[in-house]
Amino acid sequence: MAGVELSDISKSFGNFTAVKNVSLRFPERTTTCLLGPSGCGKTTLLRIIAGLEEPTSGAVLIGGKEVTGWPARRRDIAMVFQYPVIYRGLSVFENIALPLREQKLSKGELTSRVEDAIALLGLERSLNLDPERFDNGTRQRVAFARAVARRSSIILFDEPITNVDPESKFRLKQDLKKITERVRQTIIYVTHDQNEAMTLADQIVLLKDGEVLQQDAPRQVYNHPKQMFGGWFLGSPGMSFLEHPFDPGQGGRLQSDLFPFPVRIADAHRVSGSNQATLRLGIRPEHLRVLTSPEPDSVQGTVLRKFRGVAGQYLVAVKLSKHLVWAKVRHELGKNLGETVWLRCRPEAVTIFDEQDQAVSSALLKDSPEARPASQIADSK
Amino acid sequence: MFEVELENITKSYGSESVLDGMNLRFERGRFSVVLGSPVSGKSVLMRLIMGLESPDRGRILFRGQDVTNQPAGIRNFGYVPQSFALYPHYRVFDNIAYPLVLAKKTSGLRARVEKIAKKLRIDHLLSKYPNQLSGGEKQRVALARGMIKDSSVFILDDPLVGLDFKLRESLFVDLRDMLSEVEGSVIYSTSDPLETLALADDVFVLDDRRIIESGSLDQLYEEPQQARTLQILGVPPANFISGELTGRICRTPLGQCEIEANEETSAQRPVRIGIRPEDVCFQDLAPSFLLGDGRVLLREDLGAETLLYFEAAGLRFIGFWSNGEAAPIQKDEFKFGIDPGSLHVFDTNSGRRIGITKSAGALV
Repeated sequence: MAGVELSDISKSFGNFTAVKNVSLRFPERTTTCLLGPSGCGKTTLLRIIAGLEEPTSGAVLIGGKEVTGWPARRRDIAMVFQYPVIYRGLSVFENIALPLREQKLSKGELTSRVEDAIALLGLERSLNLDPERFDNGTRQRVAFARAVARRSSIILFDEPITNVDPESKFRLKQDLKKITERVRQTIIYVTHDQNEAMTLADQIVLLKDGEVLQQDAPRQVYNHPKQMFGGWFLGSPGMSFLEHPFDPGQGGRLQSDLFPFPVRIADAHRVSGSNQATLRLGIRPEHLRVLTSPEPDSVQGTVLRKFRGVAGQYLVAVKLSKHLVWAKVRHELGKNLGETVWLRCRPEAVTIFDEQDQAVSSALLKDSPEARPASQIADSK
Repeated sequence: MFEVELENITKSYGSESVLDGMNLRFERGRFSVVLGSPVSGKSVLMRLIMGLESPDRGRILFRGQDVTNQPAGIRNFGYVPQSFALYPHYRVFDNIAYPLVLAKKTSGLRARVEKIAKKLRIDHLLSKYPNQLSGGEKQRVALARGMIKDSSVFILDDPLVGLDFKLRESLFVDLRDMLSEVEGSVIYSTSDPLETLALADDVFVLDDRRIIESGSLDQLYEEPQQARTLQILGVPPANFISGELTGRICRTPLGQCEIEANEETSAQRPVRIGIRPEDVCFQDLAPSFLLGDGRVLLREDLGAETLLYFEAAGLRFIGFWSNGEAAPIQKDEFKFGIDPGSLHVFDTNSGRRIGITKSAGALV
């Protein structure tokens, strides 16, 4: 087993820079998801680790040893691709065993490795079928088994469940989780799907335009995005943003149409920028309570859009006096929502972003006499 | 009157039958989604409506007029094909304008292109070439091109397939907005249940070469008449268990309960019982519920919610909990329950709904 390290990696194709000065550590026996939209450089990074692509500059280390420039086959890496690879004319067993045939394994060792992989992925009942007739989901499970059976120190996955039907996806996610838990190789997994990353990863590396924005545990990335991009990208839908002028001279106070009361930034001095700055308040849909009648501390809004999502929930876009925010409601309530609703939200649930789109590590508080003492809240933060 | 009607449409390629006696009616001004598996013949159906293919048998009507033998150019429907190709040597503006130029309808061309480009947030790209665009921008150009025509019907054949999660999410909003903008009807095909939930006013389930069920999204989601509809319209997919119905007593691997069947039956009858993930309860379990002991297989973190994959009574289930962090089940073994009122009961042989269940309570 071995960890992977990237040191100041850049990669250009002609005059397009796909990866810019990326330094990353992938600890031994952990699963890291490289997450980001198309064109963020995640697949290029994976191919550089695999040895399928040479970096323009920088170094790749595996198990502490520099391997930059080594051919792929010397790196002891198994890789699973977006489109499942099946070798035609070979049985399921032989499809899994093929890479092992190049190694000098005893017959018993080879058989037991293949059989372990078959058991892990529950392929027993498919053994006597022709793999060419499998659907993409089952083909991909054969490819997973092939990667597992190699017992290489590292397994790379390149969007392995993008091209399967929705029903197979659920099966494959369970298989992947089993692989990450039981096999404990160093796994690097590329995806544009935040749910896969949140579910499978020990750490998420969030990428955009060839640069690393954040590297953290999944819940940390979700709960504490470092930039507005992370707040928007994670979550479905992600954060809504409300833009407000901010004058640090006012003791951190501001008015937002999200709240019927004035609010205050706990440590206003942490907000960088000029004296007259613009702040953005980021709020996740699940932190907004949608009410059908006015209640204390709620603000009135108009439902502009309503559609259904996961588990029959409704997503609603609510227009406040200046901003549009997204909220989620359970299907029983969502079905009967009228045009006018009221939203309630705890100021503490808001993430504050400065003019450079960077998160400000400070809480938003209700600014009124009946609010809790500021010191208490600041302490708990 | 219906905007587009298909009567008894049959289509084969050689010996392979793709559509067999299909009937379909699309209402005016609606976002109609044809939902089917990837190989169910959705594209063929879209091409038939467009006039790019002819049916072997049957009629296609547009506002009551038979257009079966009219070529695509006369029908003049807007079209976004599944694998769209932009003209690489044309600027974005000319790509979008192309259908109007082709139809020699160029009065006010610039204003129209600009209007639709603005709506899809690509107005700053009009002088660029396709190879200077990202995948999502190209997709928006293809949508603009498909929807610029002065038409009242727009055919979109699985236009978001293969796109990033977040990109699809933002296009859901754009597509819904487009419908109100063009004041027409959209006929949209997909195999993705999430797209269907997000976009559809009406849903048409295509399975085994015909439409097995159609109706409003809410109707099909809340009370599907076919087991197959419940199976493919929902994210995550519904759980299915098998059972037996005798009179009103339904026996399941999780115990038995009473249901109100809409067909009288005295003999023992095999049934399939569908349970939506959001109807699996982990707390406040009433004695009237079907109850089980679950063992966690996987917790899928959706950020705001958790999907719980678990095993019970030797079967696999998916449950839904609308909170990302405080998953109700921190232990790997737990109790769960299902309100009999939320069950969907289907005849095993026909796949048709036979029960409207009632919270009559589980019987011991």
